[in-house]
Amino acid sequence: MTWAGLRHLWQHRRLTLLAFIAASLLAMFFALRLVVAAVYWSDPVHLEQAPDGWMTTGYVARSWQVDPKDVAQALGLDPETHARGVTLEDIAEAQGRPLVDLIADLAAYLAETRP
Amino acid sequence: MTDWLLSGLANSGIPLLFMTTFLSCLMVPVPSSLLMLAAGAFAAGGDLSIGAVLLAAYLGAVSGDQTGYAAARLARGPIDALLAGKARAARMMETARIRLDRRGGLTVFLTRWLMSPLGPYVNLTAGATGFSWMRFSMASAAGEAVWVTIYAGLGWAFATNIEMIADLSGSITAGLAAAFVATLLGRHLLRSLHHAR
Repeated sequence: MTWAGLRHLWQHRRLTLLAFIAASLLAMFFALRLVVAAVYWSDPVHLEQAPDGWMTTGYVARSWQVDPKDVAQALGLDPETHARGVTLEDIAEAQGRPLVDLIADLAAYLAETRP
Repeated sequence: MTDWLLSGLANSGIPLLFMTTFLSCLMVPVPSSLLMLAAGAFAAGGDLSIGAVLLAAYLGAVSGDQTGYAAARLARGPIDALLAGKARAARMMETARIRLDRRGGLTVFLTRWLMSPLGPYVNLTAGATGFSWMRFSMASAAGEAVWVTIYAGLGWAFATNIEMIADLSGSITAGLAAAFVATLLGRHLLRSLHHAR
């Protein structure tokens, strides 16, 4: 690619040239973001997902690789009768306490089992 | 919106998943990949049925593709009328039509999962240029099957942190989509340079 060629494209194909530059920059941006993300996630600390209201006990148990029955027990639920598909938010509501309290209890339990 | 969608997943995950993949095929910016990953993880934990997750996400995606294609196809008459006086825009449509005719099946297939950010635009282009409905539907059906299986499967297998998978896969698909567009435009530029000589 010569300067004359570039000038020709700028004069006759300006929009396409600008779109090409934009798409190339975007591709580079995402490649860079992928590298940054790979470095970030390679840290095991970042892998453990903090409990959140939308999660179920089963999800938390898988995320932290603990027994789902233990998670249910830690929240004061009967592990045998605790239904599937119930979120932490639902559990907090049923127990009549704020979600943040329940999440704090759960986090304490998880910190204890997975130091 | 992501929080809102996730909080509905355990209770009404199946219809929610259908709606999300449907809308994502129509340029609505919903976090469909993240939701499929979360649904896969929920299924692995026994909170949702994996069969229902796959089916709902798949049917949503395929009907979303069909809707985008049909809408653009219906708008063909008005689009042609609009382009009648504009030679350059009409030429662009013609180029798109020829390109799709040659490698349309593969383009539709790959923009379902590998370069998914381009999917909705390809649906519209395919419909507006009169690309064969049969070829479109077959490529869409195959591509969406790959998309749904990959994301729900990753959620199922790597339930430890879906945020990570969503982050990495988002960068990969968006990067590949941008690189693909850059390649097409670059080839176009080189060709016009060649013609000028």
